[in-house]
Amino acid sequence: MRIEVSDVGESVRKVALVGRLDTSGVLGIETSFVTALVPHGKHAVVDLSKVEFIGSMGLRMFISVARTMRDKQMKLVFYAPQPLVNNVLETAAFARIAPVCADAAQAVAATQA
Amino acid sequence: MPGAEHILRFPATRAAYEQAFADLRCTLEAQAVEAKARYNVELIFEEIVTNIICHGCGHGPHGSIEVSLGFDNGAIVMKFCDNGPAFDPRGHKVAEISSIEEARIGGLGIELVRRASAGIDYQRTPQDENHLTVTVAAR
Repeated sequence: MRIEVSDVGESVRKVALVGRLDTSGVLGIETSFVTALVPHGKHAVVDLSKVEFIGSMGLRMFISVARTMRDKQMKLVFYAPQPLVNNVLETAAFARIAPVCADAAQAVAATQA
Repeated sequence: MPGAEHILRFPATRAAYEQAFADLRCTLEAQAVEAKARYNVELIFEEIVTNIICHGCGHGPHGSIEVSLGFDNGAIVMKFCDNGPAFDPRGHKVAEISSIEEARIGGLGIELVRRASAGIDYQRTPQDENHLTVTVAAR
């Protein structure tokens, strides 16, 4: 599992996740994921296009970070999940936790809405 | 290969799980399982075995897990056997996520297993073992 962090302008952080968000993958990147998003006071978008698998551990990590950012008045938006990953997000009604957009432009726009 | 059965036996530890999961992926590759079914099998394996290790027999020194995979026309049958405390996932009630405020962190895994499977059966044997059978549509 790999995490790539960059900034989109001054107010939005972009995090791209690459690999499998199974238990091992989450344990490997959870600290980096939280550190990349929570302390900086920026809205964030998360690129899921290279995530091949997500299980409940990955969902838990996302829910926990989304809740923490919401408490700090920051928005967290996900985008471009692969179809089978999107099935899991839909099964968990994840859109009720955080928006899931089709692409990066929509996701960045959603952070400004 | 219709009718084929593969059995994975491993200690209920995180390290052994990693190797078993790698073996599972090799088996699914060898059986040319379609992408959606493969995802569902891997998801169910991940959720059930992790649950056994975290909440079941993983706390004791002699915990063990056996997973058999049966490949037949139209279905993949996964049988999980462990010697941990009794746990029937069929009776596990999970509230649907309604909002970020109400989202529960626990219980998601069992709900994912339910949605990914075509059927779930459970028995607690006289030998104090959990026998959980999960059927996955192969197509």
